[in-house]
Amino acid sequence: MPDLAVTLNRLHLANPVLVASGTFGYAREMAGFVPLARLGGIIPKTITPLPRIGNPPPRTVETASGLLNSIGLDNDGLDAFIEKHLDYLLGLGTAVIANIAGHDRDEFLRMAERLGRCQGLAGLELNISCPNVSGGVDFGVDPEMTASVVRGVREVCGLPLVAKLTPNVTDITAIAQAAAQAGADAVTIANTFQGMSIDWRQRRPILGNVVGGLSGPAIKPIVLRMVWQVARKVPVPIIAVGGIDGIDDVLEYLVAGASAVQIGTANFYNPSLAGMLIDQLDQALASAGCQNVREIVGTLQIPQR
Amino acid sequence: MQIIVPVIEQVRVARDTYRLRLASPELARAALPGQFFMIRSPGLTNPLLGRPFALYDTYLDDGGNPAGIDVVYLVVGKMTGLMSTWSAGDRVEVWGPLGNGFPTPTAKHLLLVAGGIGNTPFLAVARAARGLRGYAAAAAQKRVDNITFCYGTRSAEYLAGLDDIAPLGVELRLATDDGSRGHHGFVTDLVADWLLKNTPGDDAEQPSHARTSSRPPAAIFCCGPEPMMHAVARLAEQHKVPCWLSLETPMACGFGACFSCVTKVKQPGGGWDYRRVCVEGPIFPAESLAF
Repeated sequence: MPDLAVTLNRLHLANPVLVASGTFGYAREMAGFVPLARLGGIIPKTITPLPRIGNPPPRTVETASGLLNSIGLDNDGLDAFIEKHLDYLLGLGTAVIANIAGHDRDEFLRMAERLGRCQGLAGLELNISCPNVSGGVDFGVDPEMTASVVRGVREVCGLPLVAKLTPNVTDITAIAQAAAQAGADAVTIANTFQGMSIDWRQRRPILGNVVGGLSGPAIKPIVLRMVWQVARKVPVPIIAVGGIDGIDDVLEYLVAGASAVQIGTANFYNPSLAGMLIDQLDQALASAGCQNVREIVGTLQIPQR
Repeated sequence: MQIIVPVIEQVRVARDTYRLRLASPELARAALPGQFFMIRSPGLTNPLLGRPFALYDTYLDDGGNPAGIDVVYLVVGKMTGLMSTWSAGDRVEVWGPLGNGFPTPTAKHLLLVAGGIGNTPFLAVARAARGLRGYAAAAAQKRVDNITFCYGTRSAEYLAGLDDIAPLGVELRLATDDGSRGHHGFVTDLVADWLLKNTPGDDAEQPSHARTSSRPPAAIFCCGPEPMMHAVARLAEQHKVPCWLSLETPMACGFGACFSCVTKVKQPGGGWDYRRVCVEGPIFPAESLAF
C-alpha cells in the first residue's frame, strides 16, 4: 500500500484528494455518496462575512463538456457557518479547510481571525478569485493585492493558508509567486474561467448574471498547463482543480507538479467519484511502482529534441 | 444512492415523448410519488450533467414486488435526445430518489393539474391516493374519494399516458391549445370551471363539513410551466383550496450541493429567500412561493 499522505508546508493531509469549495455543499449533502472520513480534505462552500442571497437564476447552464455557473456565493454568512455547519464538519474525521471571501482586505482579515480561533480547522483557503461577485475577482488579478491579503491574513491567523487563484489573468505564475512570498502555504490552481452562454433566438444571455465561471472537463488542459507553468517557476505547493473526471486526470496533475487535487464539478454529475478516486490512486501508484504519492509529484519529463 | 442500472424497455407514448423503464429494485423500493431521479449516460462528458426526471411509477415483478422505475420524458435537448436512442440492455447512471414528494392527500376530492410534460408525477400520485399501491414500504391505503385530472398540452398528439391513468377511476378533463382534443384553450380554464362548480368560492358561506370535519373538501396538486402553475395557485387561493406545486428549475446535482435550482420562497419574517428546489422541494405549498 503506497503512502498517500502529503504535506504542503504547514498543511498536512492524509491523502491528496480533496473536494472543491462550492461543489460539495457543507458535506452533509454528500454523505450518502462519499465516505467522508476517507477524503484528504473537505473545502466547504465559500463563507462571506454576512449572508448573501446570491445571483438570480438561472444560475447554471451546461456547455460542451463543461458547466457555467453564476451562483454568486449564496451563503448564510460567517455566524451561521460557525453555528450550523462547523461542528458537523469537524466531526467527520477529515481535514476541513474553510474557504472565505471578503469584499476588501479587512473583511478577509476579520473572518480569518475569527476562524483561526475555532479549534479543529486544518487550514484556510482564501477565495480571491470568485468571478461572480463584483470586487472578489480584483485581488487575484493583481500580484500586490494578492500579497497584501495573504500577508495580512498570515499576521492575524495561525492556520495554514491556501490562496485560490483565478485563471483569468495573463500570467498566473506572477500571482502564485506573490502569494508564496507573502506566506501562502499552498496555492489552488485554479478557480473558474469567465464565460458566457447565449440563447440567440431570444437574443438573451442564459445565466441570470449574464456571465459566469466555466468548469468541468472542458477546462482541464488549460489548468494542467497553468499547474505545470507554476510548478516549474514558483517554489510553492500546488493544489490543482479543474475538470477532474477520473484517476488519470488526478495523476496528470500530480505529474505536472501538483501536490494535491480537488474534485469539483464531477461532484455534481458523478457524486461518488471523489471517494472512489482514493482507492484508484492507491492502485495506480502501486502499479507504477511508487512507495508514496510524493514520488510522482512533478515528474514530468520534457523530451529533448 | 448512485447506481448504474440497465434499461428494460423504452416505449414511445406520445409525440416526442417516451417512457423509459429501468431495472432497479433498490430505487423502486425507495421512491415516493413526486420524487425525482437524476439520470445520465455514465462515462460521457457531453452531455455532462444528470437531468432530473419525476417518478412516473414503480413497476412490479410477477410476484408484485417493486422491480424498477419508469420515467416519462419529452425530447427537448441534448440529453433527452440521447436518451431517446437508449434501448433494452443499455446501462444508465441514476441517483435518487431525490426531493420531498407530494404530501399524503387528506382531501375528499383530489384535483390533479398538469400542463405539457408536467403530467409525469401524477400516475403514481393517483395510484397511491386510490390505495392501489404502496410506495417506499408503506402499505397501500385509500386516501381520497375522487380524483379529477385536468391535463393540457399543445395538441392531442402530446397527450401521454391517458391509458395508464384512466383505468384508476380518475375523471379526465383534457385541454389542447389547438382544440384537437378536449377543451380548446388552457388547462387553467378547466381548473377555474371545476373550482366554480365544486367549491364555495370567496363569498360563499362556509359549508357545514368545513366546520365539523378536519378533512378539506378538495386539494390541488399541480405541475407544469410556471405561468400555468402561478395561475392555478391564484385560482386555488380565491377558492380557498389548498394547493401544492411541483417545480422544475435548472439543476446541476439534484441533492443540494450546487445551489443552482433556487426559487423564491417567502420567509416567516416577510420578504423572500432563494431556497433549493431539489432538497426543499420540488413540491411546495403554493402559498409559500413568491412568484
